Amino acid sequence: MPVEAVATPTGTTTMEITVSKFELLRELTATQGVVERKTTIPILSNYLFEAVGDKLFLTATDLDLSLRTSCTAKVKKEGSCTIPARKLHDYVKLLPDADITIKLLENHWVSIRCGRSNTKMVGMARSNFPSLPAFPTAGVVKIPSGVLRQMIAKTTFAIANEESRYTLNGALMVLKPESITMVATDGHRLAHIERSGEKFDGVSGEMKTLVPKKAMDELKTLLDSADVESIDFAKDESTLYFRVDPRLLTSRQLTGQFPNYEAVLPKDNNKSVTVNCEDLSAAIQRVAQFADERSRAVRMKLEKGELKIAASSTETGESEDSIETNYQGDPVTIGFNAAYLLDFLKATGSGQVRLELKDAQSAGQLRPGEGDDYHYRYIVMPMRI
Amino acid sequence: MTSFLKTIFHVDMDAFFVSVEELFDPALKGKAVVVGGQRNERGVVSAASYEAREFGVHSAMPLRTAARLCPHAIFVDGHPERYRQCSERVYRVLNGFSPLVEMASIDEAYLDMSGTERLHGPPLKAAHALHQKMKSCTQLNCSIGIGTSRLIAKVSSAQAKPNGVLWVIPGQEAKFLAPLDVRSIPGVGKVMEQNLDALGVHKVGDLASFEESELEQHFGKWGLALAGKAQGKDAGGWFDTEVGADTDPKSISHEHTFNEDTPNQEQLECTLMRLSEMVGRRLREHHLHARTIQLKLRYKDFTTITRAHSLAGVTQLDTEIFEQVRVLFRKNWRRGQAVRLLGVHASSFESKEGQIDLLDGSRHERWKQALSAADKLRDKYGESSISLAAGMKGSFRERTHENPAGLPGKGPKAKES
Repeated sequence: MPVEAVATPTGTTTMEITVSKFELLRELTATQGVVERKTTIPILSNYLFEAVGDKLFLTATDLDLSLRTSCTAKVKKEGSCTIPARKLHDYVKLLPDADITIKLLENHWVSIRCGRSNTKMVGMARSNFPSLPAFPTAGVVKIPSGVLRQMIAKTTFAIANEESRYTLNGALMVLKPESITMVATDGHRLAHIERSGEKFDGVSGEMKTLVPKKAMDELKTLLDSADVESIDFAKDESTLYFRVDPRLLTSRQLTGQFPNYEAVLPKDNNKSVTVNCEDLSAAIQRVAQFADERSRAVRMKLEKGELKIAASSTETGESEDSIETNYQGDPVTIGFNAAYLLDFLKATGSGQVRLELKDAQSAGQLRPGEGDDYHYRYIVMPMRI
Repeated sequence: MTSFLKTIFHVDMDAFFVSVEELFDPALKGKAVVVGGQRNERGVVSAASYEAREFGVHSAMPLRTAARLCPHAIFVDGHPERYRQCSERVYRVLNGFSPLVEMASIDEAYLDMSGTERLHGPPLKAAHALHQKMKSCTQLNCSIGIGTSRLIAKVSSAQAKPNGVLWVIPGQEAKFLAPLDVRSIPGVGKVMEQNLDALGVHKVGDLASFEESELEQHFGKWGLALAGKAQGKDAGGWFDTEVGADTDPKSISHEHTFNEDTPNQEQLECTLMRLSEMVGRRLREHHLHARTIQLKLRYKDFTTITRAHSLAGVTQLDTEIFEQVRVLFRKNWRRGQAVRLLGVHASSFESKEGQIDLLDGSRHERWKQALSAADKLRDKYGESSISLAAGMKGSFRERTHENPAGLPGKGPKAKES
């Protein structure tokens, strides 16, 4: 049964269900990330439990992000209640693998029984729980889950944490009838990934969406644990919907103009070299131990036959690593934040990477060396060193 | 033994702001004068003439209180540019006497005169020469305290006021301090005075009856420092550093107390812009780039919050500081609540600019050039000669006690943190 089709019984003050500990715990764990931890609104640290038909629906929200999921249950009395999320999760983890009976009592208390364990938890009125927007019936786009997972993994780290650059607090997803692109930047580096040769029914022209970082991360977690071919994506004026069956993630949309990233993609980086991703990563990690702790600056020197990486700080000393290459062009020296380079190399994982430079003041570009089904590129601005 | 002793001068200009104002308006001479603003304004007294002081007026006192105590006083607005110019003249005189000069604020300085005897003669003779030179070059009076430590120099210059010289002969430090109130030791404030009072300590000499360990037990590290100070030694805190030693600030901040508490967002944000400008200016003077920007906000009822944010990059640009501080302000200000004080604070300094931005085109670079040009104008025509438009509504008279830019010594409101 699709999750949005639930008619929640309102005004009911009863609920009694039995659910397996295994299934309940699985869904509780999946939704923990969305439960607001430091909220000033108490109801947001609660789950909404709704028992309908043969299912228990669980909802968690922090108002920006909501996650709704379900598991099978023996429903004796339909109804709903709210339960403190963390306490419930912590408690259910400790219960034996058996059936759990959950029953709404008076004054929003909830009884949890499992074998010889018997607990009553203090809940809150169901009416306090915010109402969530329903999944749209039209304009739904199917996105292959494997593709989306890859694209998130390779861009999400470049999203800005700076709240002052509001529109950078998410990634831009561009859907076209036959391609999907994802871009993220924090103003210092930019990750850009594109996959063509897919078919996106229901997309005409260009569909641009700013996906907040928290939604990206949560979506990634859902995709990691789910076993589905594709997900359903939809949006309305204010909300984004991602359905990773049976779970539904809804997120408030980021408004505002994503920067014109196309203008900053390097076009004439003519000094390029191909090196092994793991070698480069290892060299940078070693050298970065001796970089200034705050700026993390490392110096890259590309010369004939060699790529040198060096760092120094007055407190710790200096360090240099060198990698043999077949580079034959003009020499160039450029400074980078080691952490930015390592982010890309980690996301790429293995194989060859190509480093394309112009001069000490211009953005450098990194890409996977060969066999890239995803057109993946990473642009990093240098540091003055 | 004597050869190890230092000779420190503390040169303190007498009623500096008032004296400078008198240079511009001789009619003020000999009258009760209060500098800092008009009698009905909310600010505080920056300086008072000796005539006004007789009525109990002192600096940092609210202007309105001063007006009540001394109704016939003439109230004068401060002129930061004038003070800065004079301060620079003072510095030039001092620099002629010792290479180790440290301006502690706009109107006082420490000089390390150790080893200058062959050039300037014994301390009293050197002080006399300095005193005369100061008068002839700046037309201003000063008082000079001489001792083997900063502390003794500072305390003795206060005793020498006005227009005097006092030398505490090496070895006589404790004896000199003994009859003085504990409050005369720099660093002993109201709270410490009360704590000491509880122990029956009123005069510096009373401290002598305590073992160092006892003082440490009561006041921790401060107790030990206090024991040293009672002996006339530079113990603890900034007093420990050598005169003229490199004292790069650990943080730079500016604050403003409103004349009237205000809930007006535009005015508050304009003030933040103005404060950001002042902080940016100081950062550039010190060639520093800040990574952490902090907002200080005090409401009408004195509840005070500070909120800090660390940037991904570093900055010394007014506009970028303001952007950060405005985010902090908008996030933390209880909208509509009247604000008494705002402050902007920069810290976590780096000497290099580092990361270049990908998206701003040449905006950063252009601002950098524009602000550097503005700094040159300020150097030449004074701090208020040029300002960002956004900060103009938030303009206010600056506080003027700081050591002027460019002179060695204590940074502007640079707190050790």
